[in-house]
Amino acid sequence: MSETSELRKRAAEANASNEHDTTKGKYMTFKSGNEYFGLKIQYVNEIIQFQAITAIPETEDYIKGLINLRGKVIPVIDVRLRFKQQPFEYNDRTCIIVINVKSTVVGLIVEKIAEVVEIKDENILPPPSIGRMDRAQQKYVYGIGKVGDSVKLLLDPDKLLNDEDLSVAEQANDMILDEE
Amino acid sequence: MAEEFSTDGMLDMYLFENEQLLEQLQDRVLEQKDADCFDEDSINEIFRTMHTIKGSSGIMMFDNITAIAHKLEDVFYYLRESHPDNVPHLELVEHVLEVADFISNEMDKIRNGDPVDGDASDIIARLDKFLDMLKNGITVSEGKEAPPENVHVEPKHFYIAPVATKDSRFYKIFITFFPETEMVNVHAYKTVYALKEIAEDLLYSPEDIIADASCAETILKEGFKILLQAQCGEEEIRQIIGIGYDIEKVEVFECKAEEFLQGFDFGDDTMRVIDLDSSVEEIENKAQEASKGNEEAADAKAEKAPEKPKIAPGDFVIKSKDPGKHKTLAKDKPKTEKASFISVNVSKMDQLMDLIGELVIAESVVLQNPDLKVPGLNLARFNKAAAQMSKIATDLQNVIMSMRMVPLTNTFQKMNRIVFDVSRKLGKDIEFEMVGEQTEVDKNIIEHISDPLMHLVRNAVDHGIETNEERIDSGKADKGKVTLSAKTEAGKVWISVEDNGKGLERDKILAKARKQGLLDDGKPESAYTDKEVYQFITLPGFSTNEQITEYSGRGVGMDVVVQNIQAIGGMLDIESVAGMGTIMSLKIPLTLAIVDGIVMETGNSSFVLETGVIKEFVTVKEEMMIHEPNGDEFIMIRGECFPVIRLGRWYGLTEYKEAVEDGTMLILEVEDKKICLFVDRLIGEQEIVVKPIPSYIKKVKGLSGCTQLGDGSIALILDAGGLID
Repeated sequence: MSETSELRKRAAEANASNEHDTTKGKYMTFKSGNEYFGLKIQYVNEIIQFQAITAIPETEDYIKGLINLRGKVIPVIDVRLRFKQQPFEYNDRTCIIVINVKSTVVGLIVEKIAEVVEIKDENILPPPSIGRMDRAQQKYVYGIGKVGDSVKLLLDPDKLLNDEDLSVAEQANDMILDEE
Repeated sequence: MAEEFSTDGMLDMYLFENEQLLEQLQDRVLEQKDADCFDEDSINEIFRTMHTIKGSSGIMMFDNITAIAHKLEDVFYYLRESHPDNVPHLELVEHVLEVADFISNEMDKIRNGDPVDGDASDIIARLDKFLDMLKNGITVSEGKEAPPENVHVEPKHFYIAPVATKDSRFYKIFITFFPETEMVNVHAYKTVYALKEIAEDLLYSPEDIIADASCAETILKEGFKILLQAQCGEEEIRQIIGIGYDIEKVEVFECKAEEFLQGFDFGDDTMRVIDLDSSVEEIENKAQEASKGNEEAADAKAEKAPEKPKIAPGDFVIKSKDPGKHKTLAKDKPKTEKASFISVNVSKMDQLMDLIGELVIAESVVLQNPDLKVPGLNLARFNKAAAQMSKIATDLQNVIMSMRMVPLTNTFQKMNRIVFDVSRKLGKDIEFEMVGEQTEVDKNIIEHISDPLMHLVRNAVDHGIETNEERIDSGKADKGKVTLSAKTEAGKVWISVEDNGKGLERDKILAKARKQGLLDDGKPESAYTDKEVYQFITLPGFSTNEQITEYSGRGVGMDVVVQNIQAIGGMLDIESVAGMGTIMSLKIPLTLAIVDGIVMETGNSSFVLETGVIKEFVTVKEEMMIHEPNGDEFIMIRGECFPVIRLGRWYGLTEYKEAVEDGTMLILEVEDKKICLFVDRLIGEQEIVVKPIPSYIKKVKGLSGCTQLGDGSIALILDAGGLID
């Protein structure tokens, strides 16, 4: 009796620590512009190849349209345009990261997928209040993770998708980017 | 890891079961609300429902639900045991509904994880009063004591007691059949049947002679015993039974009433071994009843005896204590057959639907695979197999579609409840009729029309139908009536709420519209058509009702109704004749999930339009176009002038065709408004599976959804109504 409960306890512990191991502290990193960004891995559903996008008229420029993900229709957004960076050409090697934030499934078009890295909590710093990042970008970044010599900007996916408090003035200023 | 006792599964089960029970209960109660009293089935049913709810709530430790269910159970226990006369039926109905509401309310709280804190004491107190009133205010028939409130008594059979007059004589009849007789039970039954003609009371053993063929052996071995109460002599009985080829011997003994009541004791020792447990119990009951001298017709009893297996333990058979007075039992009404159903989680259905959608696409990917286009392949067998697969895929699609179709019955039943509540509170005498509640509609649509329909029905009862006095004043003889009807026509569902009330008052509406500045100054009031005038009441904040009642009149409502209906691609039509009544009709697409569509292309994008809104396709020439300086365009087709929307320009697409000769004009008609839509080219007609545009994307004007085309790409579905506005 005591043996079995002991076993069970150990199994439970192993389970618990496993769970922590697989998701905690791991970040999916990708490159957009000159910076590397990181997303907590538990938000990431999958990474798919670029596929044809059906554009939707009269939406924000960064919402590129809809794709058909195995029968599910999901919207895709261009991360670079979301960050008010210059648009880039899509090619065969462009990838879409499918993320699920509070059951909203959205595809993120990113320039280049980097790797999955582990960043410990103590290596994450709050974003500097003054920096060379522009304001739009700064809002989505909740921390800066240090991995070796490089830094990754850690993204708050909720803000990335839903923050719409860009004022009209700001949008007007950013119209230059709207070349498409 | 603590081994926690999880009640989650049980809780789901509890909620699901009780919800269904309550729904059935409500249906049953409303079905019989117009009768003078509940029929015996319903009393038993309500009793049982409350008993079940009480039991399961007790286990789940929802004390208030247990308490209230117990109280109502008590009331119905009293009703079924004492069957008092003159039960105030409507009051009873209200009590039952009140309890049902309370329980559903509590169950909602449970579902949301809120504390189950509803206070049942009020309702319980009222039920107590009601029960007291029943017990004391009304003379209980037969002077019978009210049964104790504790319901846990042994189930009993109550029989309608025989008429015992002093001319009655009691007989014990013992029939022996020839041992070689086949199907002796049928012969026995023949005898019983013959005796019923003269019988005032009749009992026989074995009992189940028709249903249970195995008792034939018993009859052969031990004989067939009959207890008979009749006014005729022994000879007569012998004649009726007759001695045929099957009966060996008939013994008829006359006996006293007491002996009769003792049952099958023939004074013969060999007979005593027969197990007569059940019938003895019945006879005892009978003895009690008989001694009370109930004035029930004897033949009723005779009818009842052979049908006995139908009566479940604990049920009672209603006694008509006043044969002269006909009671309206709702049982006379036609009953709808209930089909057998299983409940399936909706998300599973959606998943299945998605999978089948994917299957269809996968199928076209396989069948139109470029690898098959290699010249010189012999594809005969492949094509045959492919055709078979396509057929199955199509069938699958049809089945899943039909699975999503749900009859409107439940929704309509809810309306029944609303009419009842509102009309009672307003003191209006209103009849409610449902027509075509079996009409099937896609599940999603049902969810969307329930609220609008509720508004319309409420409006009809509150504003439409006059008060009883007003009706008499205006010389309307008939009862106020609200008719809710549904039918399918031309791929749409038509649901209408009709009342025979006072109708809409054109002048009042116009006056109000003028006050709110809705009228066009240049247009005389008479120039507005009735339809246009009635449309005013669908505007926000528009209510001509001077008084705000509990139910309606706050000016919200009709606009919400219209919004909700439009959201699912439906429309509202108002017809009214002053003094005669109003008809509000909803026209709703049969299904949201699948529509016939025309696929077209503009620029690089594919669009789909519902086939129904497209009147015709025309190729036009530049001469037919009229350009206004402000950029608006019109076109003259056969002497009619239509406004033109160029889809490419409307959505700011790229690479679309400019010259009207290169593309196609579509004439669209929605609600009598026509426009021309200019697109690059048509692709074809196709059944499309409608999917919503992910909510992440803000609503775009003129788009109602999206769909997958055969090649897996996504096309946007245009909403003609949105384009026209």
